[in-house]
Amino acid sequence: MSDSNIELMAHLMRRAGFGAGRDELERCADQGYEATVEELLDTSNANNMPDDLIRRYHVEQSELRDLAGSAAYWMYRMISTDKPLEEKMALFWHGLFATGYTKLNQARSQLNQVEMFRRNGLGRFDEMLLEISRDPAMLVWLDNNDNHGDAINENYGRELLELFSMGIGNYTEDDIKECARAFTGWTLGNAEYMAVRAQKDSIWPYGRIAWHYDYRDDDHDDGEKTFLGETGNFNGEDIIGIIAKQDATAEFICTRLFQFFAADEVTDEGRRAIDAMKETYFESGYEIKNVLRTLFNSEYFRSNEARFARVKGPVELVVGAIRMAGSYQTPTLGIEKVSNSMLYMGQGLLQPPTVEGWHEGVEWIDSGSLVERVNFAAKELSNTESPGVQAIINRLAESGGVLSPSEFADGCVDLLGPIDVSDDTRSVLVDYAANQGDLDLRNREPGGESEKRVGNMLRLIAATREYQLA
Amino acid sequence: MTTQTQTSTIRVEYVKTIGIVNNGLNGRGYANPYDLAVSSDGRIFVLNRCDPARAAGIRIGVCSLDEDYLFEFGDGAGSGDTQFRWPVALTFDDQDRLYVTDEQNHRVTVFDADGNFLRKWGSPGRGDGEFNGPAGVAAGPSTGSGDGAVYVVDQHNARVQKFSSDGTYVGQWGSQGSGPGQFNLPWGAATDTSGNVYIADWRNDRIQKFNPDGEFLASFGTPGYGEGQFQRPTQVAVDGEGYIYVSDWGNERVQILDADGNFQLLLRGDATVSRWAQEYFDANPEEAAERYRSNLTPDLPPHLNTPYHISSQTEPYFWGPVAVSLDREGHLYVVETNRHRFQVYQKQ
Repeated sequence: MSDSNIELMAHLMRRAGFGAGRDELERCADQGYEATVEELLDTSNANNMPDDLIRRYHVEQSELRDLAGSAAYWMYRMISTDKPLEEKMALFWHGLFATGYTKLNQARSQLNQVEMFRRNGLGRFDEMLLEISRDPAMLVWLDNNDNHGDAINENYGRELLELFSMGIGNYTEDDIKECARAFTGWTLGNAEYMAVRAQKDSIWPYGRIAWHYDYRDDDHDDGEKTFLGETGNFNGEDIIGIIAKQDATAEFICTRLFQFFAADEVTDEGRRAIDAMKETYFESGYEIKNVLRTLFNSEYFRSNEARFARVKGPVELVVGAIRMAGSYQTPTLGIEKVSNSMLYMGQGLLQPPTVEGWHEGVEWIDSGSLVERVNFAAKELSNTESPGVQAIINRLAESGGVLSPSEFADGCVDLLGPIDVSDDTRSVLVDYAANQGDLDLRNREPGGESEKRVGNMLRLIAATREYQLA
Repeated sequence: MTTQTQTSTIRVEYVKTIGIVNNGLNGRGYANPYDLAVSSDGRIFVLNRCDPARAAGIRIGVCSLDEDYLFEFGDGAGSGDTQFRWPVALTFDDQDRLYVTDEQNHRVTVFDADGNFLRKWGSPGRGDGEFNGPAGVAAGPSTGSGDGAVYVVDQHNARVQKFSSDGTYVGQWGSQGSGPGQFNLPWGAATDTSGNVYIADWRNDRIQKFNPDGEFLASFGTPGYGEGQFQRPTQVAVDGEGYIYVSDWGNERVQILDADGNFQLLLRGDATVSRWAQEYFDANPEEAAERYRSNLTPDLPPHLNTPYHISSQTEPYFWGPVAVSLDREGHLYVVETNRHRFQVYQKQ
C-alpha cells in the first residue's frame, strides 16, 4: 500500500506531468523529491512518438491543415513524451496566450506556436513575450498585421498588457496606444497575400501556406513614446523590457503559474508561495524554470492543503487516463476521436473559446462534461488488455493473489493514484467488491473473470468525484 | 531546383505540375495523394489516401498528362471490395492490371484499367500470404524470362512476399533488422527490366536490391542529409537504363542514382501553377494579383530551417514527396502528399 513518499510523488507527477504509474512513482521516490523536481525541470532531449512514424500513417498529421488531426498530433506528443513538464508548460502557455483555430484556420501555424512554447516554456518571461509578439498565429489572432505606422490597431497592445503580462488596473489607455505604436511593422511575410487568403479562407491551389514573421521597418512608427512613465523611441523589444520589470507582471505570471500547478484558490499559505515565486522571478532575471522550482519545492505545494486542490482539466484527464492505461503507443486509426473527446469535455486543443483562454477550476464540470469525463476515463481504465491496466493487475496479485473486498478496493484506489477517497466513496467501492467475494488472481486468464473484476473496479473509481481532482 | 554532380550521366527537365487540393469528397483534385501509376495508354492513376475526417474521399482519380480529369473509382472508407481504409501504394503490371495495397485492411485489391474490381487477397497475420500492413507493391515483367510476379512489402512482418498475378503465394524473404536482406518498416517497391526487386527500406534509410528470388544483391544509401544519403526513403523506381529514382521523403527531395547506386541528381521541386489552379486564379483575380506580388520562396527564421518546415512554406518545393513513378515516355512523376499535386519531369 502507499506510503507518504509515494503520495507526494503522485501529487507532483499529477501537477508537473499527467500522472504516473506505480513503477515510475517508486523510481521517483527512490531518487528523492528534489531530485525528481530537477529531473522534471530538465526538458532537454525529450523522447516521444517520432514524427516520421506519425507522418507516415497519418497524412492529416503530416499536412496539419485540419483541426482534428492537428489536435491529435499534439495529443500524441503529450501521451508519449518522457518530459511531461515540457508539454504541461506548452499547455499552460496555450491557455495563457490563447490563440484559436476558429479565426485562424491555420493549424500548422498554431502548432509552430506550440513548438515555440516548448522551446521557450521554461526560459525567461521577457523572451517568451518577445517570441509571442513575433508569433505569426498571434499576429493574426490579435490583428497586429493590421497595426500600421500611420493607423494603429490597439488589439495586440491591449491584450499584451491586460491578458498576457500585467492585468487590468496597472496601466492606462495611453499606455495601450503607445504600446500599439511600438509594435507597428510587426507582421507576416507576404502579408497582403496571406490576408486575402485568410479573408476568403482559401486553401487554393495547393493547401495552406504556413505563416512566418516579417518586420517592416517602413511600416513602423519610430517616433517618441511614453510608456509606463518611461520615454524613448521605443520598439516592441523596449516595451517588453519595461513590462518584464514591473511588480504587476511578476504578480500576474506567478499567480497564473500557481493556479495552474498548485491550486485553483489562493489561500494565505498559497499567498506566501506566490510571494516567494515573485522574489525568484526578479532574482533569476525572470526565469520561469526557477520560479517553478520555487513553487514545487515550497512547503505549500508539498502540503496536504495543496493535494487534490485542483479540478483536472479535460486535457489532463484524457492524457492522464491514456498514460495510466498505456494505450495509443503507436499511430492508431481513429486517434482524432480521442482528441475530439477533450473538446466535448470543454477543452479542445488549439481551440480555446476566446483570447482569455479557458475558465478553469470547477467550471470544467457541468452535467454534460462530467458524463464525457467519466465515460472516457472508465473506458480507458477498464480495458484489461492495456499494458498499464495489466501492470495494476500484476501489482494487485503480488501479495499472494487473493484479496478481500477491502484489500481489492483499497489496492485499486492506491494503484490508480493513490487517490484520497472519502469514507463514503470507499464504502461504496468495498460493497461493490464484496458482491463477488474475494478477488482471486491466481491462475488468472488474460481477459478472464478475475481480470474483468479489476477492470470494473477501475471503471467505478474513474466515476468517483475524487478521480476528477488533481 | 536541381543539383547534380559534375559527372552526372542523366538529365531531367521540369515539365509541369498537375493537381489542386480537393476540398470536396470527389471530383477533380487530390486529397493527400500517396502513389501514382501510369497505364499502358498513358493515363495517370493517383491514389488518394485522404484522412479519417474526410474518409469518403479515399479513392483513385484518373487524369491525362494534358490535365483532363477522366474518372475516379473507389467507394470511400471501409472493407468492401472497392473500399479502402489506409491505402498505401498501387502499380500496374504489364497486362494493365492495377494492384492496390491497404495497410489497415491487410490486403491487395486488383482492378482493371477502367477501375473495375477484379479480385483481392490477403488477411491479417504472419503466415504465408497473410499481411501485417502491406505497403509497397511492384510487378515484374511477364515477357522474356520474367514470370509476372507481384511483390508486396509486408511492413510490420519485415518481409517481402512474392505472388503470382492471381494472388497465389510464391515465396518470401526478409526479417527485422538492419543487416543485408533485413528490413525496418520497409515501404516502397519496384522492379527493373531484368526483374530485380528494389525495396525502400524506410527506417534503415536505404534502398536494397534483390534478384527475383529474394537473394540480396546490393544496398544503396546511408542515413543523412548529403548527396546519396537518405532520410526515410518511401518509394523507388527504376528506368530502362537502370537509373534509380528515390523519393527521399524525410529530406523533402528526390534523388537519382545510377545503376551502381552512385549519386547523379537531386531534385528539390519546381512546382508551377497547374491548369486546374490557373482556372481557379482566373476566377479569383484579386487573389492571383497578390500571389504574383508575393515571394513564395522566402528566407525563414532559424527555428524553421528544416526540410519539413522549409517545404511547408515554400510552395514550389516538394512537400511530402511520397512517391516516384515512371511511364514509358520517360516521364518522372513525383507525388506530394501535403500539396495534393504531382510534378512531372522529362528524362532527356
